[in-house]
Amino acid sequence: MAPPLLLYAGRRPLQAVPLVLVIFLINFTLIQAAPGDPIDFLLGSSDATEEYIAQLREEFGLDQPFLTQLLAHLGKVAQLDLGYSLRFREDVLTLILSRRPATLLLMGSALVVASLLGVLLGAVAARRPYSLTDNAATLLALAGYSMPVFWLGQIMLLVFSLHLAMFPTQGMMSLRAPREGIGMVLDVAHHLVLPVATYSVYHLALVFRLTRVKMQETLALDFITTARAKGLPESRVVYGHALRNAMLPVVTVIGLNFGFMLAGSVLTETVFAWPGTGRLLYDAIGPRDYPLLMGLFTVLSVMVILANVLTDIIYALIDPRVVYR
Amino acid sequence: MHPRAGSWWPNVESAKATGPHAFEFRLKAPFAPFLTMLGSVLSSGALIMPKHIYEGTDPRTNPANQRPVGSGPFTFSRWQRGGFIELNRNPTYFKANRPYLDRLVFQVSSDPAARLLAFERGEIDFLHWYIVPYDRIGQLRSDRRFTLYQKGDAAATNGLMLINHRHEQLKNAKVRQALAHAIDRRSINERALFGEAKVAQSHVGSTIAWAFTDRHDYAFDPAKANAMLEEAGARRSADGRRFPLRLFWAAGRDYEGRGAEIIKDNLRDVGIDVTVQTFDRTSFIDRVFRQWDFDLAMQLFTTGPDPTVSVTPRYHTKQIRRAPFVNGMGYSNPEVDAFFDRETAITDPAERAQAWHEIQRILMQDLPALPLYELPPIHAASSKFANVVTGPQGYIENREDAYEVR
Repeated sequence: MAPPLLLYAGRRPLQAVPLVLVIFLINFTLIQAAPGDPIDFLLGSSDATEEYIAQLREEFGLDQPFLTQLLAHLGKVAQLDLGYSLRFREDVLTLILSRRPATLLLMGSALVVASLLGVLLGAVAARRPYSLTDNAATLLALAGYSMPVFWLGQIMLLVFSLHLAMFPTQGMMSLRAPREGIGMVLDVAHHLVLPVATYSVYHLALVFRLTRVKMQETLALDFITTARAKGLPESRVVYGHALRNAMLPVVTVIGLNFGFMLAGSVLTETVFAWPGTGRLLYDAIGPRDYPLLMGLFTVLSVMVILANVLTDIIYALIDPRVVYR
Repeated sequence: MHPRAGSWWPNVESAKATGPHAFEFRLKAPFAPFLTMLGSVLSSGALIMPKHIYEGTDPRTNPANQRPVGSGPFTFSRWQRGGFIELNRNPTYFKANRPYLDRLVFQVSSDPAARLLAFERGEIDFLHWYIVPYDRIGQLRSDRRFTLYQKGDAAATNGLMLINHRHEQLKNAKVRQALAHAIDRRSINERALFGEAKVAQSHVGSTIAWAFTDRHDYAFDPAKANAMLEEAGARRSADGRRFPLRLFWAAGRDYEGRGAEIIKDNLRDVGIDVTVQTFDRTSFIDRVFRQWDFDLAMQLFTTGPDPTVSVTPRYHTKQIRRAPFVNGMGYSNPEVDAFFDRETAITDPAERAQAWHEIQRILMQDLPALPLYELPPIHAASSKFANVVTGPQGYIENREDAYEVR
């Protein structure tokens, strides 16, 4: 790896700081502008006195003007203090970190499945364009690409849980008979299948479609003809020469997906009662948990930016033509 | 003090232990609902707190808030945030041979369809009434794998249509009464709640039997409603319409949405043009109870375990304030206020019941809200278990009597 790349990798996140600030400002304004008051959720009943309401407001700093609240929050975030969740009564960073493993497990598995299968199927389909296999795969990809996640999740549950009774419907592990060690790993894996399948479909379709198109383009180029003329075996031509060149835009898309996947999926996690950050976001919106929402959005934007930097670096590694200065 | 106890606990002047099993409460003035509230887990009655853990600490940040300590049949075991909460049998529970179950696990599940599926699959054994959809009750009832429990009437939950008394037309009592005659509440029960509920006939639920009266109910009578609207001066324009109204409901309870659509139909028949609008719950509360920017709104109010703590706070003039679930309707009648202020000191049950009958007469005449239906708390449990819900306070009570059928 050339030193300029290292320099770039160090410089790029710093350039993103103003961007994070702007995102922060927009998020803060939007959340505060949404109708509703977190205090209403906390009280949940009619009996609270005016004094108690005022006391809660003061405790959470909600009685301060908008700008004061914004600056105070920004100051804390700069010190890596994301504040205190109104709903969960816990430190926001602790809360997000405690949900992160579940999300990483779900999203990581989904990303690996979607990327590997997507690239593989795309390459296979591109070898014989408009054949029966290709047409079938393309049609399926179109369906997968346009299917709403929450609907697909419900269908998965109906078919594989209710009727075929193959997989559990809820949560990360069996609550009836908790297991230890290897048993627990298998149990979690069993619970993981349906949410991963549901969440992968869209990304699988996306990666597949992109790989297929890029492969088709690449296979028509002169250097492929040259490779064939040299008498290289066809599999070497396709997977060694063409795929490597077709991968560049695919890597970009996978990298972008990675950023979003780290944030978790609100819909998948909600349908399958998966205790990750996506559900945390869902649970924070209803009560207008300002600090938690801000914390989640801030972590999300940082993650997306980091994923972009990572993509750029991988780019340079697989394509020697890309040089960073 | 828990904010929910604000309506009754301030009456206590002092409380002290006078023996190992004796307590003495001194009240500032006679307060009739006191014993009911003391024994109630609804509306946060007197919950027993562990002194050795909370004494001398800030109760809001005490670590025991995340690892609760209590005296019940089960003890806290672990809590996977967003996943589940696990309780284990308390071996030193004060009742001998209770509880029967070894473990209780509460699964956190936000998706209504998915958790119902998990229940039907047998992954979950119990659903409390708030999350059992009324449109599925008939099907669950006929399935022998499941047992339904109708327990928890002490809360006496009423579904109502709140009426904004600041509205140009709705501030006229005659117009409000016309709405009551125009709306077919039986049809709402049949079509929005699949006949599982009961038509509400008053501002106190019928399960609070000592206080309830149905004498001041309205009959469904569109012709009379039309006549009353004419009398009130709300005449039809050339296109047959009298005036428009907005009806809000908060997403989450499907039956409220279906009920709103039926109300829209009913009111169209008497020349009132209703626009139904739905919000997420927090926006709805903001709109109705803080901005007071609504005409009609669908809302649930409990009326028990004692109407003093659940009915009075909605309709007293003092409660016209910008806070959730109070008098956002802007209703004020000094006559009913006087009853509200006086009835708590009446210790003779018959006399107090009479005061509450008077209150209901006035409320039904003034209609700060129109009671639509009484919601029965119907819980669903797996038939593998018995006695899952036993007490009048429903699922909030503990599971000490529940056992596995073998």
